[in-house]
This record gives sequence, structure tokens and C-alpha cells, in this order.
Amino acid sequence: MNETHTPIPVGTTVVVERTDETMEEMYVNMGPQHPSTHGVLRLMLKLDGEYITDCVPYVGYLHRCHEKIGENRNYTQVIPYTDRLDYLASMSMNFGYVQAVERLMGLAVPPRAEYMRVILAELQRIASHLIWLGTFGLDLGNFTIFIYCFREREMVLDLFEAVSGQRLNYSFYRIGGMAMDFPDGWVENCRGFLEWFKPRLPEYDALMTDNILFRKRVEGVGILPTRTAVEYAASGPVLRGSGVAWDLRRNDPYSVYDRFEFDVPAYDSCDVWARYLVRRQEMAQSVRIVEQALAQLPAGEIQAKVPKTIKPPAGQVYARTESPRGELGFYLVSDGSPKPYRYKVRSPAFVNLSALPEMLKGCLVADCVAVLGSVDIVLGEVDR
Amino acid sequence: MTAEEILGQIQQRFGDAISAAEVKGPEVRATVKPEVAWEACRFLRDAGFEYLNCLSGVDWTTHLEVVYDLSSLQHPLKAHLRVPVGREAPMIRTVTDIWSAANWHERECYDLFGVRFDGHPDHRRILLPEDWVGYPLRKDYADERMVPYTEYGLEEKLPRAEGEKPAVKAAPRPAPAKPAAPSPEAPKPS
Repeated sequence: MNETHTPIPVGTTVVVERTDETMEEMYVNMGPQHPSTHGVLRLMLKLDGEYITDCVPYVGYLHRCHEKIGENRNYTQVIPYTDRLDYLASMSMNFGYVQAVERLMGLAVPPRAEYMRVILAELQRIASHLIWLGTFGLDLGNFTIFIYCFREREMVLDLFEAVSGQRLNYSFYRIGGMAMDFPDGWVENCRGFLEWFKPRLPEYDALMTDNILFRKRVEGVGILPTRTAVEYAASGPVLRGSGVAWDLRRNDPYSVYDRFEFDVPAYDSCDVWARYLVRRQEMAQSVRIVEQALAQLPAGEIQAKVPKTIKPPAGQVYARTESPRGELGFYLVSDGSPKPYRYKVRSPAFVNLSALPEMLKGCLVADCVAVLGSVDIVLGEVDR
Repeated sequence: MTAEEILGQIQQRFGDAISAAEVKGPEVRATVKPEVAWEACRFLRDAGFEYLNCLSGVDWTTHLEVVYDLSSLQHPLKAHLRVPVGREAPMIRTVTDIWSAANWHERECYDLFGVRFDGHPDHRRILLPEDWVGYPLRKDYADERMVPYTEYGLEEKLPRAEGEKPAVKAAPRPAPAKPAAPSPEAPKPS
């Protein structure tokens, strides 16, 4: 610790050493009820003065036996349960699951359905990042950004309500296609939303990215070195904020993502600031993808011919997609019956959260909220 | 290295302990005995599979299985490793010293299947409360709180104890009472 009170440059890593044998560690409990843990998460922080020496996360407060339930439902009945995994990105959860079942069955999806899937998944990414941005700013004291982000998110939810009838938990994807087609005028409304949304991103920059108060709180904080990020199998913006430009849409493409031009933002500083920038840029890239997908949207049917009872052949598959939080994987084992034999969800927030103690090493307790917000967890997905 | 080369090296190195090995597309699949599982994981990590996507358990009624799904950020190959373990006292060496991501995955496997991971730094339940008894994702897990799923409307098919009546739908809500007529003595509104 710095005894002479000279300012510490932004980006310096502070190493805390115990200099006094009588110094005691203090345990501070954060959660499970807490306005900034983004759900029911309990963090046990071990403090040495103001510095965090260790953090032990306790999860499971939202465990709802998702995987056991999945073994007792047929493959289509599982879809509404996947909505409720990461309830802020239900379209992405649906996408990951139906993708896995189709891969197990070797089923081809009609092109219009594929484009619909990408459009809805990218709009969902925008909505999810808007919630993240709004709540992240709110945690740090920026009340205005929360209102602005939720205003845009309401527009996305209006689009989703027009297409599926639901504002959240859409259950819109089906094995082999989609439940329904876009209603009349939806494509024009979507384009209208994108035209409204594009000038909003500089507004968010004015409130957050270019805000010196915000910058000082997030630069150099919550470092997750690249090697540690890979060892902890971090994915999504957490991995890209640690310098690894790995995006499943680009590196292991699924659906029709290989037909679109978009950038994969990655930053080297491995801190909260890098993760913030990754998500901020991803919103702009998602807009690009949706525009291209709307322009290329083909006509045709939206559902492949599937038998009334879906019985994939016996076998297993691990299929992964890029959800707003990272690599969403579904490990499915089929025994030829209409119900999954084993159904496992590899949740990106669960794996990213396991790296939180590494990120919090050497941080001040006041930085805990910023670091936790930068991981972007949803407890529904962590606990299943 | 291609997938076939990796498979060849694994078979050469571990010989009899490997069964059901094949290459499917970009994926190397193998079933290994638990005694050599850690070494096989170490070998695969050194062969370039530095990313542990998923570690899960499967209950095949006769035995349990720990499944590793690996991939790499450098090359497009994937690996899928299956390690069968017995149902009584299932134990396997932890791979947290190979991939730190395995830490929470193994805790979850222990929590839901009861597989013990020898050498795990933090071997305790993760999703269920610490005092939970039993391993729910096993196929023989029974709990009186588990209600079998029946289609809506067929409540009479749910299992019930002797003499218990089938569940009935709730009685309909009574119609709201009509507002009473104003009495003659009440002052008229001006």
C-alpha cells in the first residue's frame, strides 16, 4: 500500500502484502439479497482493510432442477424451460437448444427460418446488452443511462411481442424452424427500430464511455489475465475483454452467421473497461448483422418437416452457440426415446462467474460491484 | 495435427485403457478407463486442447460416466472423452490442475451425481444446500417431494395414498355482490 500518497497511475496492479502480523482478515458477506449482485448471489469477501484478498461465491439460490426436469419432458416441451434459463436472452437460449437437438437429429432447417433465428438472436443480443449497460451504469451511480437503455429495450420487446405474443420467455423457436412467421409490417418496424437505435449509441457514449467519472472507476480494475481467462474457460465478452478475439459466430459458425460481415471486438487491457467496450461495440455489430439479415431474408417456409413425436436417434451431442453472455452449450444424450436421457446446460455465466475470485484479487471492496457487473451474470442461467 | 493423428497417438500411448475410439468430423472421441483419465486429459491439454468446454456426468444405470468436452482456441478440432466409473463409491482424479474451469464443473458433478474427485481443492456441493442428502440427477433418486408430471386436466391419474380423494379443481370465485340500493333516509347528493 502506498504510504506517501502519490497518485497511483490508472492500470497499475496493486499487490497487497501482509506487513503486520497482528492484522486480521475481515469477512464481509454480500448477498444473497443485494441490489447489485444481479440476482440471488452470495459473495463472501475476505478483506484486508479495504482490499479484497479472496472472494468465495455461493450459488444455487435459484436452482430449479432444470436438468432433471428436462429428462422428464419430451424435446419440444423443454423449449419453454430453456426460456427461463437466461430470462434476459430467451431467444438465444431457445436458439442454442433447438440447434443442439437438430444437430443430434441431423435435421436441416429451411433458410427463412435460419435468417429469422439470426435476426431475433441479434435483436436479443442488443436487448440483453442494453439491460447490462443500464444496470451496470445504475450500479455505479449513473441513473440516466438506465432509463435510456430501457427505453430502447422496450422497443425491442415490442418487436418481440409482435412476433411471438410475449415480452419475455418467448418459446418461439421450434425444433426444425420457428413457431410462426413474421407478421405483416414487422420487417419495416424492425428497420425503423434500427434507424432509431443507431444514433442512440453515441448518446450512451456521452453518458458512459466518455465520462471521466466512469472511466476512473473501471480502468485498471478487475484484471483477468489472458492465460487465466483461457484456463477458466471464460467465454463471450469476458474472454474478448482479455484479449482473445474468440467468437463462436466467427470461429465455429453455426446457422447462417458465415454469410454476414461483422467485426469481433476484443481488447487487451483485461479489465472492466475492456469488457465494457466489447459489449458496447457488440451492440453496433449486432445492428449490422440484423440489417444484412433483413436485406437477405428469403421467402419460404419456416418449419422443416418433423415427425409429430421428436425422437432423435441414440447418440450424444455437445452443441454451442454464442449467447450474449458467452458460450452456451447443450450436452444432450438421446436413447431414441421422445425424452432426453441426459440434458446438460453449459451456462456461460456459471463458468465466467468461477473466474470472479481471480478478477477480484487486489481490488478494493468498492470495486467489487463494478467487477461483478462486468461479468454480466444472470442467476437463472448460473443455477439452472 | 489432424484428428486422426491425435487419435493414433492416444491409442499408441494408452493402448488397452482406450475403448470406443473414433474420429467424427473434427471431433476425436474416446472412452478411457478412470485409472488413466487424468493422464489422457493431460496429454490432450498438451496436444492443444487448452479449453474445457464442459465436464458433465451421465447416469447409465449400470454405471456412471464423466464426460469431458474439450476444444481449442488455436485449431478447429474438438475432443470428447468419456470415463466410466462405478456407482458405488465413484471416484476419479480431479483435473482442476489441468483446467481451472473444471473446479466448478466437478463440484456440480459431485453435487448432482455423487462422483468424488480426488484432490479437488474445494470439494463441496455447489447448487444444492450443503446439507442435502442424495444425488438428484441419478436415475434411482427418489424423493417424496417429486411429483410425476401428468398432462393438465388429468389430476385423477396422479398417484395418491389410500383413501385420498383425487385433486379437484378449485371452486369458482363467487360473483361480486351487487351494490345495495341507497336507503330513503340517506341524504341525497346535492
